[in-house]
Amino acid sequence: MRIVASASTRTKPVPKYVSIAQTSLQQAIAYRLTTLFTIGLTFIWVFILYYVWKAAYSDQAVIEGFTWDEMRTYVVLAYAINALVGWRIGAQMMATIRSGEVVIELVRPLNYCGTQLARATGFAVVEGILSLIITVIVGLLFLDILRPASPFMAALFILSLMIGFVSKALIVFSVSLLAFWTLNGTGLMWSQQAIVQVLSGTIVPIALLPGWLRLTAEVLPMRGIVSTPLTIYLGQAEGAQIVQLLALQVAWLIVLWIGGNWAWRRAFAAVETQGG
Amino acid sequence: MLPTVSRNVRLYFRLQITQLRALIEYRADFWIGIAGAALQQCAGLVFISALFSQIPEVQGWTVWNVAILYGLVIIPTGFVELFCDGPWRLRADINQGNFDRVLVRPLSPALQQATAFTSIHGLGQVGLGAVVLSIGLSRSAVQWEWWSIPFLLVVLVCAATINGAMNFVVNMTGFWEPSTASAFPTMVVSMREFAKFPLDLYGIVLKVVVTLILPFAFVSYFPTLLLLDRGGRWQLLGLACPAVAALVVLATSWLWRRGLDRYQGVGH
Repeated sequence: MRIVASASTRTKPVPKYVSIAQTSLQQAIAYRLTTLFTIGLTFIWVFILYYVWKAAYSDQAVIEGFTWDEMRTYVVLAYAINALVGWRIGAQMMATIRSGEVVIELVRPLNYCGTQLARATGFAVVEGILSLIITVIVGLLFLDILRPASPFMAALFILSLMIGFVSKALIVFSVSLLAFWTLNGTGLMWSQQAIVQVLSGTIVPIALLPGWLRLTAEVLPMRGIVSTPLTIYLGQAEGAQIVQLLALQVAWLIVLWIGGNWAWRRAFAAVETQGG
Repeated sequence: MLPTVSRNVRLYFRLQITQLRALIEYRADFWIGIAGAALQQCAGLVFISALFSQIPEVQGWTVWNVAILYGLVIIPTGFVELFCDGPWRLRADINQGNFDRVLVRPLSPALQQATAFTSIHGLGQVGLGAVVLSIGLSRSAVQWEWWSIPFLLVVLVCAATINGAMNFVVNMTGFWEPSTASAFPTMVVSMREFAKFPLDLYGIVLKVVVTLILPFAFVSYFPTLLLLDRGGRWQLLGLACPAVAALVVLATSWLWRRGLDRYQGVGH
């Protein structure tokens, strides 16, 4: 990527992926109300989980290693983090695949996978970060959530959060590619959302999942989206464990990137064999 | 009066079956849709089973009691997606002026809109919901009476009616605010998720919202109280389900006529 000299930003073009991110950022700002209602939508389950857990903790002080303070923090933050990559990016991709506009993407001198990541980033800057900020404010003021375990952990949390963000965007990307073979985009998105919700530890911390599901969730990349950052945030992992968790996240990130690009080439070949 | 009603019913089924048949044409899509809808509901079930594997009951509610609530919410949701999902097309139709077409046909506009579109994945929710509900009922301490089964059927029908009317109401906002896409309708309709859990657990604001503003509590919570014979006098509200459904339908049809008066087209 070219580096733009600060003095001449007006005359020189913005790096290509940055300009794509800017476009989707502007879209997210243009549809402000939608963005707000999307955030409201996320909060429905936060409220449900908050009240149900609150009632559960009235009989018991600790559930599977989680105190009520930790669980409350977990529930509120998990949904905000999972919402960083919304439905828009997948929906847009599927729409262009269905209509055939996706062909234009091939003409552009850009990596398709990278383009989608840049788009996801643009949306996330408005939608995700706005909802994260609202959640944190509501959380700290009204729900009394815990602060990060330490400033160092806070830094690691943000690093892990960013890796998780890119992982989720890549997962959504790969699932959206299936739209080359099926017309039912909604069904795909729903399946993807449900699976990510469970395996990332959004709906319930991974430690509480039943045996086999828990083992599956522990090795798959989805845990990096929500569970890993929050484990670090709450200070539930230490030293070598954190290194292990982050290494797993990075390893999956590489696999997802290579896999996503490979799948994209395969998918596009499928279109050509049908005769375009 | 009666011939008009029977004509409308006949036409409704004709239009609806055409839509459903068109969808079944695509085999793979059909199954993906059903799997997606069922999986989405499974996420909530995973939470419930994880929670209750740690604690036997929450404020007197066992896992099977909650399963009844869950089933009572998702079965009608599925029915409405199968039989009255057309209103979700309304906003786009108003925005692009396609609603003109609906108005010039010699058929009730509401009937046409109800059948404008259907989501076959409703089957996934109905199927999963029926399983969850029957397991929940068989393992809860239900006071079975002669009226229990008819009562459940009435509740399910009224619940589907309420949900169908809500589909119209939330999307009718398009007559006043004609933007194509908005997350507003989805957000309001998604509030029915609250009814999947006992109202006892929620704070006062939420209780008021899901009882008075959006009557989702009449679909699951109050009828379940009656079946389980608990909650004191509150359980009598379970009998109010048909009355609530009637009120919601009346309000919706009044709003619908107001909406039709507002519609101006886009200058075709």
